[in-house]
Amino acid sequence: MRPLESLRLSWRSIRGHRLRSALTTLGVIIGIAAVIAFVSLGASLQAGIIGDISPDDQRNLYGWAADPDTEGGPLAGAQFVFSQNDLDNVSELEPVEAAYGYATIDAQSITYGGETRLQGDGLIAAGPSYIREGSLKEGRQFQMGEREAVINPAAAEQFDENVSVGDELEVTIVTGGTETLTVVGITDSSEGQSPFEGFEAAPRIYVPTDPFYVDQAVGPAAGNGDTDVDNGDRDVRFIAIVVEAPSADQDDVDRTRDAAIAYFESDQSDASEFLGDDLAVILQTSTELLQQLEDILGLLQNFIVGIAAISLVVGSIGIANIMLVSVTERTREIGIMKAVGAQNRDILTLFLSEAVILGVVGAVLGTALGLAVGYLGAWYIDLPLVYPFEYVVLAIAAGIGVGVISGLYPAWRAARTDPIDALRYE
Amino acid sequence: MGTVGDAVEMVDVRKTYQIGEPVHALDGVTLSIPRGSYTAIMGPSGSGKSTLMNLVGCLDTPTSGTVSIDGQEISGLSDRERTTLRGTTVGFVFQTFNLMPRLNALENVALPQLFRGVSREKRHERARDLLGRVGLGDRIDHQPNELSGGQRQRVALARALVNDPAIILADEPTGNLDSETEADVLDLFEEFHDAGTTMIVVTHERHVAERAERIIHLLDGEIEWIESLDESNSSSASDSRGETKGSEMGSNEGAIDHNDVARGDENGASTSDDGGR
Ligand SMILES: Nc1ncnc2c1ncn2[C@@H]1O[C@H](COP(=O)(O)OP(=O)(O)OP(=O)(O)O)[C@@H](O)[C@H]1O
Ligand SMILES: [Mg+2]
Repeated sequence: MRPLESLRLSWRSIRGHRLRSALTTLGVIIGIAAVIAFVSLGASLQAGIIGDISPDDQRNLYGWAADPDTEGGPLAGAQFVFSQNDLDNVSELEPVEAAYGYATIDAQSITYGGETRLQGDGLIAAGPSYIREGSLKEGRQFQMGEREAVINPAAAEQFDENVSVGDELEVTIVTGGTETLTVVGITDSSEGQSPFEGFEAAPRIYVPTDPFYVDQAVGPAAGNGDTDVDNGDRDVRFIAIVVEAPSADQDDVDRTRDAAIAYFESDQSDASEFLGDDLAVILQTSTELLQQLEDILGLLQNFIVGIAAISLVVGSIGIANIMLVSVTERTREIGIMKAVGAQNRDILTLFLSEAVILGVVGAVLGTALGLAVGYLGAWYIDLPLVYPFEYVVLAIAAGIGVGVISGLYPAWRAARTDPIDALRYE
Repeated sequence: MGTVGDAVEMVDVRKTYQIGEPVHALDGVTLSIPRGSYTAIMGPSGSGKSTLMNLVGCLDTPTSGTVSIDGQEISGLSDRERTTLRGTTVGFVFQTFNLMPRLNALENVALPQLFRGVSREKRHERARDLLGRVGLGDRIDHQPNELSGGQRQRVALARALVNDPAIILADEPTGNLDSETEADVLDLFEEFHDAGTTMIVVTHERHVAERAERIIHLLDGEIEWIESLDESNSSSASDSRGETKGSEMGSNEGAIDHNDVARGDENGASTSDDGGR
C-alpha cells in the first residue's frame, strides 16, 4: 500500500471519531503547550533582563543581610541591619567609591499642576550616585539632605503637562503627611536602574535616603520595630544597600566586596551585633544576582518540563488505550482488509499512522497553543518575544515519537489478527 | 487424481479444532475442481462448508493434507505469499457481505487494489466500471448502511471481481436476498462463469445449487457424494460412492465441453473420500 493512502485511510478513521480523537490528543496538546509556553517565556525573560544590564552597572554591589542558606533572589529573607553610620564608614574605606542605603517609601499619589496620579510603587530612596550621570537625560543627580528628586520619563509624562527639571511635585506618603519635592533630573529610560527595582518600565521617582527614608523609618511602616527605643538617626536601619566599586574590573569589585564585608563583620559596625551564623551580609553584582534568578528560572523550567513530560507519558498512554479500543472495535474491518489481500505490514502501517497522526496533531496544536500563551505572557509583562524554534522542531519530533511508541503495540496486535477469527468477530 | 492445472486440488485435507473434544470440521477431503467449472457445495449446518471455503480462499491452512490453488500448494507458502495469492487469484463473496462500513461502494470495491498499490484513479475507474456491471452505477457514493441487502451483496460481488480472480468463492451469497435479487445475483454468477471464471458456491438451497454443473454434498466434514447436473441426468446420482465417482467423471467431460472457456481435455474434476480410493 502506498504511504499516502494509509495516511488518508487513517485520517478518515480519526475523523470518524472526532470527539474521541480530540480528547485523546488533549494530553499531548497540554504537555507540549506547557513546554513551549514556558520555554518561550523563559527565553524572553532572559533576553529581556540581560538586555537591560548596562556595562557600568557592573561596578555596583547590591547588598542585604539574610540567612546564607536562603534562596529566592535579591532581598529574600533580608533583615534591617545596616545603619547610616555603617554606610558612611564603608564609604570611607579605600576600595569603596560610595555606599548608601536603598529603600522604597510607600506613597499613595503624586500631584503636579493640580492633577493627581496614583503612585503605588512608591518612591525609591537611595544615594545620589544610584542614578548614574550617564543615564540622566536632563538635570543632575539629587543631593543628600535635600528635598530633591530625579524622575524617569514615565513619571514625567503621566501628567497632561510634562514635568520638567525645576518643577515641584506633591507626594502623599502612606504613613501620613505630604512631601514637596523639587525635580532636579530626568533619566533617559523608564526601565529600572537596578535589580532591586526590577527592570520593567514604570513611573519611578528617585529621592535621597536623607531626609525621606530617615524621616519615614521612624514609623512602623518602614519595618523598624525599635521605634520606642530611640528615634534618632543612628537607629534608622536599611534593609538594602548599594556599595560602589571604583571600576567594573572584577578585581576591583572583589576587593570592594571583601572590604565592605570585613567592615560589617567587625565589631566597629552597628550591623555586627545582628550578624552571625544565620545572618550574613550578601553583596552581589547584577550579573551575579541575575545568575541566581536564571538558576531559579531554570529550576522552574525543569520542573515544568518534568510535568510536561509526565503529561506526555499520560498522553501516550491515552493514545495507546484508544488505539487498543480501536483495534478491537475494528477487528472485523481488519479481517475484511486481510481477506481482500491486505498484508500484515499494511495493517501495521495503517494503525501506526493513525497513532502518529494523533501524536503529530497533538504536537502541532500544542505548539501553537504554547506559542500563543508564551506570546501573550511576554506581551503582558512587556518583554521582547523570543520564539524557541528548536523546541518547535523538538515538539513535532516528540509528537511523532509519542505516536510511534503508543501505536506500536496496538498496531502489532492488529497486524497479527487472524483473518478468520476477525471475520467471525461480532 | 486431477490435473496440476486444476483451479483447486485438495488431497486428504483435515481441519481439526481442539476445543475440549477435537472437532473435525473437515475429515479427509480429497477433490479437484477444474478451471472454469461451476461447483455448488451443499450440506447441513456444521458440515464444514465454510471451513472448506476458507481453505480454498487461502484464509486458513489445513491441519493436515494439501490444498493447491491455481497450482500452488498453500501450506508451503509464507503468510505473505498466501495473502498475495488470496488478493489476486481468489475473489470471496461472504454471506454477511463484509463491506467496510465507513467506505462508500466505490471505495469498497476498489479496496483490494489499494493493497496492491494500484493508483487511485485506476482503482476507481475499475470499481466504477464493475459497479456499473452489477447495476449499481448510480450508488457509488453510498455507504453500506445506505444500501439494501441485495445492493450490498452486489457491491461485495463487484469487490470480489476487482482483481480479475481466477476463482470466485461465494459462501451462501443469496442467503439474505429475496428471490428477485437472488435471481439477479445468480445471473451474474452465470455471466462470470461464461467468461471463464471458476465458480464455487455454498448454498442451502437446491434451486441455487442447480445452477451449477455439479454439487458436492458434505456431511460431518466428509464428502458424502458428488452430484453431476447434466441436463440429461441431473437426478441420476446415487448414494453409492463408487457410482458417484463414475457418474461424476462421465458427466464432467460434458460440462467442460459445454463450457468453452475451460481448458483441459482430461477429467476436469475427480473426487473421492478415503474410502473411495
Ligand atoms: N474456529 C472454530 N473453532 C472451533 N470449531 C469450529 C471453528 N470453526 C468451525 N468450527 C466447527 O467446525 C464445524 C464446521 O463448521 P463450518 O463453519 O465449516 O460449518 P458450515 O458447514 O459452514 O455450517 P453453516 O451451514 O451453518 O454455515 C462446526 O462443527 C463448527 O463448530
Ligand atoms: Mg458456513
